[in-house]
Amino acid sequence: MFLTPLLETRGSSVPEAVAICSVVPAVTQTLVEWATRILGVETAVLGPDDAGVERIRYDDPWQLGMDRLANALAAYARTRAATIVVDCGTATKFEFVDSEGTYHGGAIAPGLGIAGDALFARAARLYRVPLVAPARVIGRNTVHALQVGLLHGHAAMIDGMVARIQSETGVASRVIATGGFARLLAPLCRRVHEVVDFLTLDGIRLIFEQRQEKKNKSNELSK
Amino acid sequence: MSAPWFLGIDVSNTQTALGVFDGDVLRHHWTLQTDPARTADEYGVLLRSLLERAGCPPIGAVAVASSVPAMLPIVDALCRDVVGCPPLVVGPGVRTGMPILYDKPQEVGADRIVNAIAAYARTHGTTIVVDLSTATIFDFISARGEYVGGVIAPGLGIASDALFERTARLYRVELRRPKHVIGRNTVHAIQSGLVYGYVALVDGIVERMQQEAGEQARVLATGTYAELVAPESDTIDEVDPFLTLKGLRLLYERNKEKG
Repeated sequence: MFLTPLLETRGSSVPEAVAICSVVPAVTQTLVEWATRILGVETAVLGPDDAGVERIRYDDPWQLGMDRLANALAAYARTRAATIVVDCGTATKFEFVDSEGTYHGGAIAPGLGIAGDALFARAARLYRVPLVAPARVIGRNTVHALQVGLLHGHAAMIDGMVARIQSETGVASRVIATGGFARLLAPLCRRVHEVVDFLTLDGIRLIFEQRQEKKNKSNELSK
Repeated sequence: MSAPWFLGIDVSNTQTALGVFDGDVLRHHWTLQTDPARTADEYGVLLRSLLERAGCPPIGAVAVASSVPAMLPIVDALCRDVVGCPPLVVGPGVRTGMPILYDKPQEVGADRIVNAIAAYARTHGTTIVVDLSTATIFDFISARGEYVGGVIAPGLGIASDALFERTARLYRVELRRPKHVIGRNTVHAIQSGLVYGYVALVDGIVERMQQEAGEQARVLATGTYAELVAPESDTIDEVDPFLTLKGLRLLYERNKEKG
Protein backbone atom coordinates (compact mmCIF):
# COMPACT_ATOMS: atom_id res chain seq x y z
CA MET A 1 0.00 0.00 0.00
CA PHE A 2 1.28 3.47 -0.77
CA LEU A 3 -1.28 5.40 1.25
CA THR A 4 1.19 6.14 4.04
CA PRO A 5 3.76 7.73 1.67
CA LEU A 6 0.91 9.71 0.07
CA LEU A 7 0.06 11.22 3.43
CA GLU A 8 3.74 12.03 3.96
CA THR A 9 4.22 13.75 0.58
CA ARG A 10 1.62 16.34 1.50
CA GLY A 11 3.12 16.83 4.96
CA SER A 12 -0.08 15.57 6.47
CA SER A 13 0.12 14.41 10.06
CA VAL A 14 -1.18 10.96 10.87
CA PRO A 15 -4.97 11.24 11.13
CA GLU A 16 -6.71 10.51 14.41
CA ALA A 17 -9.26 8.31 12.75
CA VAL A 18 -10.03 6.77 9.38
CA ALA A 19 -13.55 6.41 7.94
CA ILE A 20 -14.01 4.14 4.95
CA CYS A 21 -16.83 4.26 2.44
CA SER A 22 -16.39 1.43 -0.04
CA VAL A 23 -18.38 0.11 -2.99
CA VAL A 24 -15.63 -2.40 -3.82
CA PRO A 25 -15.93 -5.12 -1.18
CA ALA A 26 -12.61 -6.69 -2.24
CA VAL A 27 -10.54 -3.69 -1.10
CA THR A 28 -12.45 -2.79 2.05
CA GLN A 29 -10.54 -5.24 4.24
CA THR A 30 -7.16 -4.10 2.87
CA LEU A 31 -7.98 -0.53 3.82
CA VAL A 32 -9.13 -1.56 7.28
CA GLU A 33 -5.87 -3.42 7.84
CA TRP A 34 -3.82 -0.47 6.67
CA ALA A 35 -5.65 1.92 9.01
CA THR A 36 -5.63 -0.31 12.06
CA ARG A 37 -2.26 -2.07 11.75
CA ILE A 38 -0.06 0.47 9.98
CA LEU A 39 -1.53 3.75 11.11
CA GLY A 40 -2.86 2.24 14.32
CA VAL A 41 -5.83 4.59 14.58
CA GLU A 42 -9.55 4.25 15.12
CA THR A 43 -11.11 2.88 11.94
CA ALA A 44 -14.74 2.83 10.86
CA VAL A 45 -16.28 1.17 7.81
CA LEU A 46 -19.35 3.32 7.41
CA GLY A 47 -22.79 1.78 7.04
CA PRO A 48 -26.29 3.20 6.66
CA ASP A 49 -26.93 3.03 10.43
CA ASP A 50 -24.13 5.57 10.96
CA ALA A 51 -26.07 8.04 8.84
CA GLY A 52 -29.36 7.19 10.52
CA VAL A 53 -31.59 4.67 8.76
CA GLU A 54 -34.63 6.75 9.71
CA ARG A 55 -33.47 9.28 7.10
CA ILE A 56 -33.22 6.66 4.32
CA ARG A 57 -36.29 5.71 2.28
CA TYR A 58 -34.48 3.03 0.27
CA ASP A 59 -36.19 -0.41 0.33
CA ASP A 60 -33.12 -1.91 1.97
CA PRO A 61 -30.63 0.71 3.24
CA TRP A 62 -27.92 -1.98 3.40
CA GLN A 63 -28.13 -2.44 -0.36
CA LEU A 64 -27.48 1.24 -0.93
CA GLY A 65 -23.93 2.24 -1.96
CA MET A 66 -22.47 4.34 0.86
CA ASP A 67 -20.96 6.76 -1.67
CA ARG A 68 -24.48 7.62 -2.79
CA LEU A 69 -25.63 8.30 0.75
CA ALA A 70 -22.48 10.31 1.51
CA ASN A 71 -23.17 12.47 -1.55
CA ALA A 72 -26.79 13.03 -0.59
CA LEU A 73 -26.02 13.99 3.01
CA ALA A 74 -23.10 16.26 2.09
CA ALA A 75 -25.25 18.02 -0.49
CA TYR A 76 -28.07 18.53 2.00
CA ALA A 77 -25.61 19.88 4.56
CA ARG A 78 -24.69 22.58 2.02
CA THR A 79 -28.16 23.46 0.75
CA ARG A 80 -30.55 22.64 3.62
CA ALA A 81 -33.11 22.25 0.81
CA ALA A 82 -34.40 19.62 -1.60
CA THR A 83 -31.39 18.65 -3.68
CA ILE A 84 -30.44 16.39 -6.58
CA VAL A 85 -26.84 15.15 -6.66
CA VAL A 86 -25.26 13.99 -9.91
CA ASP A 87 -22.03 12.06 -9.37
CA CYS A 88 -20.23 11.74 -12.72
CA GLY A 89 -17.77 8.92 -12.07
CA THR A 90 -17.45 5.33 -13.35
CA ALA A 91 -21.23 5.32 -13.19
CA THR A 92 -23.31 8.48 -13.35
CA LYS A 93 -25.49 8.40 -10.24
CA PHE A 94 -28.46 10.58 -9.35
CA GLU A 95 -29.66 11.03 -5.76
CA PHE A 96 -32.65 12.87 -4.39
CA VAL A 97 -32.79 14.27 -0.86
CA ASP A 98 -35.90 16.22 0.21
CA SER A 99 -36.18 19.52 2.07
CA GLU A 100 -36.19 17.66 5.42
CA GLY A 101 -32.92 15.91 4.60
CA THR A 102 -34.51 12.52 3.94
CA TYR A 103 -32.87 10.42 1.23
CA HIS A 104 -35.36 8.92 -1.25
CA GLY A 105 -33.28 7.03 -3.81
CA GLY A 106 -32.12 7.74 -7.32
CA ALA A 107 -30.86 6.34 -10.58
CA ILE A 108 -27.67 4.76 -11.90
CA ALA A 109 -26.54 5.15 -15.50
CA PRO A 110 -23.31 4.15 -17.28
CA GLY A 111 -20.59 6.77 -16.77
CA LEU A 112 -19.10 8.92 -19.52
CA GLY A 113 -15.74 7.14 -19.45
CA ILE A 114 -16.90 3.53 -19.51
CA ALA A 115 -19.62 4.21 -22.10
CA GLY A 116 -17.02 5.84 -24.36
CA ASP A 117 -14.58 2.96 -23.85
CA ALA A 118 -17.33 0.49 -24.78
CA LEU A 119 -18.10 2.39 -27.98
CA PHE A 120 -14.49 2.37 -29.16
CA ALA A 121 -14.02 -1.27 -28.20
CA ARG A 122 -17.19 -2.52 -29.88
CA ALA A 123 -17.65 -0.43 -33.03
CA ALA A 124 -15.22 -1.51 -35.74
CA ARG A 125 -14.89 1.81 -37.55
CA LEU A 126 -14.85 4.19 -34.59
CA TYR A 127 -11.78 5.37 -32.72
CA ARG A 128 -10.97 7.18 -29.50
CA VAL A 129 -11.29 10.96 -29.60
CA PRO A 130 -10.16 13.65 -27.14
CA LEU A 131 -12.98 14.66 -24.78
CA VAL A 132 -13.45 18.23 -25.98
CA ALA A 133 -16.81 19.69 -27.01
CA PRO A 134 -16.79 21.05 -30.56
CA ALA A 135 -18.47 24.38 -31.41
CA ARG A 136 -21.36 22.80 -33.33
CA VAL A 137 -23.76 20.05 -32.37
CA ILE A 138 -24.37 18.62 -35.84
CA GLY A 139 -20.97 17.08 -36.53
CA ARG A 140 -19.59 17.15 -40.06
CA ASN A 141 -16.83 14.66 -39.39
CA THR A 142 -16.51 11.53 -37.27
CA VAL A 143 -14.36 13.16 -34.57
CA HIS A 144 -16.87 15.95 -33.98
CA ALA A 145 -19.83 13.57 -34.20
CA LEU A 146 -18.28 11.40 -31.48
CA GLN A 147 -17.28 14.33 -29.28
CA VAL A 148 -20.83 15.71 -29.39
CA GLY A 149 -22.34 12.27 -28.82
CA LEU A 150 -20.19 11.61 -25.77
CA LEU A 151 -20.19 15.05 -24.13
CA HIS A 152 -23.48 16.65 -25.18
CA GLY A 153 -25.09 13.21 -25.06
CA HIS A 154 -24.08 12.75 -21.45
CA ALA A 155 -24.99 16.34 -20.56
CA ALA A 156 -28.41 15.83 -22.17
CA MET A 157 -28.84 12.63 -20.20
CA ILE A 158 -28.06 14.50 -16.96
CA ASP A 159 -30.42 17.39 -17.77
CA GLY A 160 -33.20 15.03 -18.78
CA MET A 161 -32.87 12.87 -15.67
CA VAL A 162 -32.84 15.98 -13.45
CA ALA A 163 -35.97 17.28 -15.21
CA ARG A 164 -37.74 13.96 -14.71
CA ILE A 165 -36.79 13.79 -11.03
CA GLN A 166 -37.98 17.37 -10.56
CA SER A 167 -41.30 16.64 -12.21
CA GLU A 168 -41.78 13.34 -10.32
CA THR A 169 -41.16 15.06 -6.97
CA GLY A 170 -42.87 18.32 -7.91
CA VAL A 171 -39.91 20.25 -6.48
CA ALA A 172 -37.49 22.47 -8.39
CA SER A 173 -34.58 21.04 -6.43
CA ARG A 174 -31.12 22.49 -6.30
CA VAL A 175 -28.68 20.45 -8.46
CA ILE A 176 -25.10 19.72 -7.40
CA ALA A 177 -22.66 17.82 -9.62
CA THR A 178 -19.54 16.04 -8.41
CA GLY A 179 -17.18 13.32 -9.59
CA GLY A 180 -14.33 13.10 -12.07
CA PHE A 181 -16.28 14.25 -15.13
CA ALA A 182 -18.35 16.96 -13.40
CA ARG A 183 -16.18 19.95 -14.40
CA LEU A 184 -16.09 18.72 -18.00
CA LEU A 185 -19.85 18.17 -18.25
CA ALA A 186 -21.35 20.96 -16.14
CA PRO A 187 -20.74 23.75 -18.69
CA LEU A 188 -22.74 21.71 -21.23
CA CYS A 189 -25.61 21.07 -18.81
CA ARG A 190 -28.51 23.46 -18.43
CA ARG A 191 -29.84 22.27 -15.09
CA VAL A 192 -26.72 21.90 -12.94
CA HIS A 193 -26.32 24.80 -10.47
CA GLU A 194 -23.00 24.02 -8.88
CA VAL A 195 -20.00 21.67 -9.06
CA VAL A 196 -18.53 20.50 -5.75
CA ASP A 197 -15.36 18.50 -6.23
CA PHE A 198 -15.04 16.53 -3.02
CA LEU A 199 -18.66 16.03 -2.09
CA THR A 200 -18.28 12.32 -1.30
CA LEU A 201 -15.30 12.90 1.00
CA ASP A 202 -17.22 15.66 2.74
CA GLY A 203 -20.13 13.27 3.21
CA ILE A 204 -17.85 10.60 4.68
CA ARG A 205 -16.58 13.13 7.22
CA LEU A 206 -20.17 14.14 8.10
CA ILE A 207 -21.34 10.56 8.54
CA PHE A 208 -18.28 9.75 10.64
CA GLU A 209 -18.99 12.74 12.88
CA GLN A 210 -22.58 11.58 13.33
CA ARG A 211 -21.32 8.15 14.21
CA GLN A 212 -18.97 9.57 16.84
CA GLU A 213 -21.76 11.67 18.33
CA LYS A 214 -24.02 8.65 18.61
CA LYS A 215 -21.21 6.67 20.16
CA ASN A 216 -20.45 9.38 22.72
CA LYS A 217 -24.13 9.60 23.64
CA SER A 218 -24.47 5.89 24.16
CA ASN A 219 -21.22 5.86 26.20
CA GLU A 220 -22.62 8.60 28.44
CA LEU A 221 -25.86 6.71 28.87
CA SER A 222 -24.06 3.56 29.91
CA LYS A 223 -21.96 5.40 32.50
CA MET B 1 -44.41 -12.48 -64.47
CA SER B 2 -43.23 -10.37 -61.59
CA ALA B 3 -39.77 -8.89 -61.21
CA PRO B 4 -37.22 -10.91 -59.25
CA TRP B 5 -36.98 -10.25 -55.54
CA PHE B 6 -34.38 -8.04 -53.91
CA LEU B 7 -32.21 -8.90 -50.90
CA GLY B 8 -30.87 -6.19 -48.58
CA ILE B 9 -28.10 -6.93 -46.08
CA ASP B 10 -27.32 -4.49 -43.25
CA VAL B 11 -24.14 -5.52 -41.43
CA SER B 12 -23.85 -3.63 -38.18
CA ASN B 13 -21.32 -4.11 -35.39
CA THR B 14 -23.32 -6.64 -33.41
CA GLN B 15 -26.04 -7.95 -35.71
CA THR B 16 -26.66 -8.38 -39.40
CA ALA B 17 -30.20 -7.77 -40.68
CA LEU B 18 -31.41 -9.32 -43.91
CA GLY B 19 -34.63 -8.51 -45.74
CA VAL B 20 -36.20 -9.69 -48.98
CA PHE B 21 -38.41 -7.35 -50.99
CA ASP B 22 -41.03 -8.18 -53.60
CA GLY B 23 -41.16 -4.82 -55.40
CA ASP B 24 -41.27 -2.28 -52.58
CA VAL B 25 -42.85 -4.67 -50.08
CA LEU B 26 -40.65 -6.20 -47.40
CA ARG B 27 -41.74 -9.86 -47.41
CA HIS B 28 -39.37 -11.49 -44.92
CA HIS B 29 -36.60 -10.37 -42.61
CA TRP B 30 -34.06 -12.11 -40.40
CA THR B 31 -31.31 -11.18 -38.00
CA LEU B 32 -27.97 -12.99 -37.76
CA GLN B 33 -25.00 -12.42 -35.51
CA THR B 34 -22.19 -10.38 -37.09
CA ASP B 35 -19.11 -12.56 -36.79
CA PRO B 36 -16.14 -12.10 -39.14
CA ALA B 37 -14.77 -15.42 -37.86
CA ARG B 38 -17.59 -17.19 -39.70
CA THR B 39 -17.04 -18.18 -43.31
CA ALA B 40 -19.09 -17.39 -46.41
CA ASP B 41 -19.90 -21.12 -46.56
CA GLU B 42 -21.40 -21.03 -43.07
CA TYR B 43 -23.45 -17.92 -43.77
CA GLY B 44 -24.44 -19.55 -47.09
CA VAL B 45 -25.99 -22.54 -45.34
CA LEU B 46 -27.93 -20.19 -43.07
CA LEU B 47 -29.13 -17.90 -45.82
CA ARG B 48 -30.14 -20.70 -48.17
CA SER B 49 -32.21 -22.40 -45.50
CA LEU B 50 -33.83 -19.12 -44.44
CA LEU B 51 -34.80 -18.33 -48.05
CA GLU B 52 -36.06 -21.86 -48.67
CA ARG B 53 -38.11 -22.08 -45.48
CA ALA B 54 -39.77 -18.76 -46.35
CA GLY B 55 -40.52 -20.07 -49.83
CA CYS B 56 -38.79 -17.14 -51.54
CA PRO B 57 -38.54 -17.14 -55.34
CA PRO B 58 -35.03 -16.61 -56.75
CA ILE B 59 -33.36 -13.37 -55.67
CA GLY B 60 -32.40 -11.14 -58.57
CA ALA B 61 -30.33 -8.48 -56.86
CA VAL B 62 -28.65 -7.69 -53.58
CA ALA B 63 -27.23 -4.59 -51.84
CA VAL B 64 -25.09 -4.38 -48.71
CA ALA B 65 -24.33 -1.68 -46.16
CA SER B 66 -21.58 -2.65 -43.75
CA SER B 67 -20.15 -0.98 -40.64
CA VAL B 68 -17.66 -3.83 -40.29
CA PRO B 69 -14.98 -3.81 -43.01
CA ALA B 70 -13.91 -7.39 -42.19
CA MET B 71 -17.38 -8.66 -43.14
CA LEU B 72 -17.31 -7.33 -46.71
CA PRO B 73 -15.31 -10.12 -48.37
CA ILE B 74 -17.49 -12.68 -46.57
CA VAL B 75 -20.74 -11.04 -47.69
CA ASP B 76 -19.40 -10.61 -51.22
CA ALA B 77 -18.63 -14.32 -51.48
CA LEU B 78 -21.96 -15.18 -49.86
CA CYS B 79 -23.91 -13.17 -52.46
CA ARG B 80 -22.00 -14.64 -55.41
CA ASP B 81 -22.70 -18.12 -54.02
CA VAL B 82 -26.36 -17.84 -52.98
CA VAL B 83 -27.73 -15.08 -55.23
CA GLY B 84 -25.40 -15.67 -58.15
CA CYS B 85 -24.22 -12.09 -58.50
CA PRO B 86 -22.00 -9.68 -56.57
CA PRO B 87 -23.80 -7.25 -54.24
CA LEU B 88 -24.07 -3.52 -54.69
CA VAL B 89 -21.87 -2.33 -51.82
CA VAL B 90 -22.80 1.05 -50.39
CA GLY B 91 -19.67 3.18 -50.49
CA PRO B 92 -17.67 5.52 -52.69
CA GLY B 93 -18.85 5.40 -56.31
CA VAL B 94 -22.43 4.44 -55.51
CA ARG B 95 -25.05 6.97 -56.59
CA THR B 96 -27.00 8.10 -53.54
CA GLY B 97 -29.02 10.96 -55.06
CA MET B 98 -28.28 12.79 -51.82
CA PRO B 99 -25.66 15.55 -51.54
CA ILE B 100 -23.39 14.77 -48.60
CA LEU B 101 -22.13 17.85 -46.78
CA TYR B 102 -19.72 15.93 -44.53
CA ASP B 103 -16.09 17.13 -44.56
CA LYS B 104 -15.08 13.79 -46.09
CA PRO B 105 -18.19 12.15 -47.61
CA GLN B 106 -16.49 8.74 -47.68
CA GLU B 107 -16.24 8.93 -43.89
CA VAL B 108 -20.00 8.70 -43.34
CA GLY B 109 -20.97 5.13 -42.44
CA ALA B 110 -22.90 3.29 -45.16
CA ASP B 111 -25.78 2.57 -42.75
CA ARG B 112 -26.14 6.29 -42.02
CA ILE B 113 -26.44 7.21 -45.72
CA VAL B 114 -28.92 4.41 -46.30
CA ASN B 115 -31.02 5.45 -43.27
CA ALA B 116 -30.99 9.06 -44.47
CA ILE B 117 -32.18 8.06 -47.94
CA ALA B 118 -35.04 5.96 -46.59
CA ALA B 119 -36.07 8.63 -44.09
CA TYR B 120 -36.07 11.48 -46.59
CA ALA B 121 -38.02 9.38 -49.09
CA ARG B 122 -40.67 9.08 -46.39
CA THR B 123 -40.77 12.67 -45.08
CA HIS B 124 -39.60 14.86 -48.01
CA GLY B 125 -38.64 17.42 -45.38
CA THR B 126 -36.16 18.24 -42.63
CA THR B 127 -35.51 14.97 -40.84
CA ILE B 128 -33.51 13.57 -37.97
CA VAL B 129 -32.85 9.82 -37.95
CA VAL B 130 -32.00 8.18 -34.63
CA ASP B 131 -30.55 4.68 -34.98
CA LEU B 132 -30.44 3.04 -31.54
CA SER B 133 -28.13 0.05 -31.95
CA THR B 134 -24.53 -0.74 -30.92
CA ALA B 135 -24.00 3.00 -31.19
CA THR B 136 -26.76 5.61 -30.95
CA ILE B 137 -26.42 7.53 -34.19
CA PHE B 138 -28.20 10.76 -35.14
CA ASP B 139 -28.32 12.04 -38.74
CA PHE B 140 -29.63 15.39 -39.87
CA ILE B 141 -31.15 15.73 -43.35
CA SER B 142 -32.04 19.20 -44.62
CA ALA B 143 -35.39 20.17 -46.18
CA ARG B 144 -33.69 19.98 -49.59
CA GLY B 145 -32.58 16.44 -48.96
CA GLU B 146 -28.93 17.05 -48.15
CA TYR B 147 -27.12 14.89 -45.63
CA VAL B 148 -25.80 17.55 -43.25
CA GLY B 149 -24.07 15.56 -40.50
CA GLY B 150 -24.79 14.04 -37.15
CA VAL B 151 -23.85 12.72 -33.76
CA ILE B 152 -22.53 9.36 -32.53
CA ALA B 153 -23.08 8.28 -28.91
CA PRO B 154 -22.56 4.93 -27.17
CA GLY B 155 -25.47 2.51 -27.61
CA LEU B 156 -27.75 1.52 -24.76
CA GLY B 157 -26.65 -2.13 -24.80
CA ILE B 158 -22.88 -1.63 -24.79
CA ALA B 159 -23.09 1.16 -22.21
CA SER B 160 -25.10 -1.03 -19.87
CA ASP B 161 -22.69 -3.96 -20.42
CA ALA B 162 -19.87 -1.60 -19.44
CA LEU B 163 -21.72 -0.62 -16.26
CA PHE B 164 -21.95 -4.22 -15.10
CA GLU B 165 -18.45 -5.17 -16.19
CA ARG B 166 -16.68 -2.17 -14.69
CA THR B 167 -18.38 -1.74 -11.32
CA ALA B 168 -17.95 -4.20 -8.47
CA ARG B 169 -21.40 -4.20 -6.90
CA LEU B 170 -23.79 -3.60 -9.80
CA TYR B 171 -25.42 -6.44 -11.67
CA ARG B 172 -27.28 -6.94 -14.92
CA VAL B 173 -30.95 -6.03 -14.82
CA GLU B 174 -33.81 -6.60 -17.21
CA LEU B 175 -34.04 -3.66 -19.63
CA ARG B 176 -37.48 -2.31 -18.86
CA ARG B 177 -39.07 0.93 -17.85
CA PRO B 178 -39.48 1.21 -14.06
CA LYS B 179 -42.57 2.94 -12.64
CA HIS B 180 -40.63 5.76 -11.00
CA VAL B 181 -37.60 7.79 -12.01
CA ILE B 182 -36.35 7.77 -8.40
CA GLY B 183 -35.47 4.13 -7.78
CA ARG B 184 -35.69 2.86 -4.20
CA ASN B 185 -33.68 -0.26 -4.87
CA THR B 186 -30.68 -1.05 -7.04
CA VAL B 187 -32.64 -2.80 -9.80
CA HIS B 188 -35.05 0.11 -10.21
CA ALA B 189 -32.24 2.67 -9.94
CA ILE B 190 -30.32 0.98 -12.78
CA GLN B 191 -33.44 0.52 -14.92
CA SER B 192 -34.24 4.19 -14.45
CA GLY B 193 -30.72 5.29 -15.33
CA LEU B 194 -30.60 3.11 -18.44
CA VAL B 195 -34.08 3.65 -19.86
CA TYR B 196 -34.90 7.22 -18.77
CA GLY B 197 -31.24 8.15 -19.13
CA TYR B 198 -31.23 7.05 -22.77
CA VAL B 199 -34.57 8.70 -23.49
CA ALA B 200 -33.08 11.91 -22.08
CA LEU B 201 -29.95 11.50 -24.19
CA VAL B 202 -31.99 11.06 -27.37
CA ASP B 203 -34.41 13.92 -26.64
CA GLY B 204 -31.61 16.23 -25.54
CA ILE B 205 -29.49 15.66 -28.65
CA VAL B 206 -32.51 16.00 -30.97
CA GLU B 207 -33.47 19.28 -29.28
CA ARG B 208 -29.93 20.60 -29.48
CA MET B 209 -29.72 19.69 -33.20
CA GLN B 210 -33.05 21.38 -33.93
CA GLN B 211 -32.00 24.44 -32.01
CA GLU B 212 -28.75 24.70 -33.94
CA ALA B 213 -30.50 24.17 -37.28
CA GLY B 214 -33.18 26.67 -36.31
CA GLU B 215 -35.99 24.41 -37.47
CA GLN B 216 -38.15 21.53 -36.35
CA ALA B 217 -37.42 18.21 -37.97
CA ARG B 218 -39.47 15.05 -38.33
CA VAL B 219 -37.78 12.46 -36.09
CA LEU B 220 -37.61 8.82 -37.20
CA ALA B 221 -36.18 6.15 -34.91
CA THR B 222 -34.89 2.73 -35.87
CA GLY B 223 -32.57 0.07 -34.43
CA THR B 224 -32.58 -2.49 -31.65
CA TYR B 225 -33.67 -0.16 -28.83
CA ALA B 226 -36.07 2.09 -30.76
CA GLU B 227 -39.19 0.37 -29.42
CA LEU B 228 -37.93 0.64 -25.83
CA VAL B 229 -37.02 4.33 -25.99
CA ALA B 230 -39.71 5.78 -28.30
CA PRO B 231 -42.77 5.48 -25.99
CA GLU B 232 -41.08 7.68 -23.35
CA SER B 233 -39.46 10.11 -25.78
CA ASP B 234 -40.90 13.59 -26.36
CA THR B 235 -39.16 14.02 -29.70
CA ILE B 236 -39.47 10.75 -31.66
CA ASP B 237 -42.37 10.99 -34.13
CA GLU B 238 -42.21 7.54 -35.65
CA VAL B 239 -40.43 4.18 -35.35
CA ASP B 240 -39.50 2.13 -38.41
CA PRO B 241 -37.51 -0.99 -37.51
CA PHE B 242 -36.74 -1.62 -41.20
CA LEU B 243 -35.48 1.81 -42.22
CA THR B 244 -32.01 0.57 -43.22
CA LEU B 245 -33.33 -2.35 -45.28
CA LYS B 246 -35.80 -0.04 -47.05
CA GLY B 247 -33.01 2.42 -47.78
CA LEU B 248 -30.91 -0.36 -49.31
CA ARG B 249 -33.70 -1.16 -51.75
CA LEU B 250 -34.14 2.51 -52.70
CA LEU B 251 -30.42 2.89 -53.22
CA TYR B 252 -30.35 -0.19 -55.41
CA GLU B 253 -33.22 1.15 -57.52
CA ARG B 254 -31.43 4.48 -57.97
CA ASN B 255 -28.29 2.79 -59.18
CA LYS B 256 -30.16 0.41 -61.46
CA GLU B 257 -32.16 3.19 -63.13
CA LYS B 258 -29.18 5.38 -63.78
CA GLY B 259 -26.78 2.52 -64.29
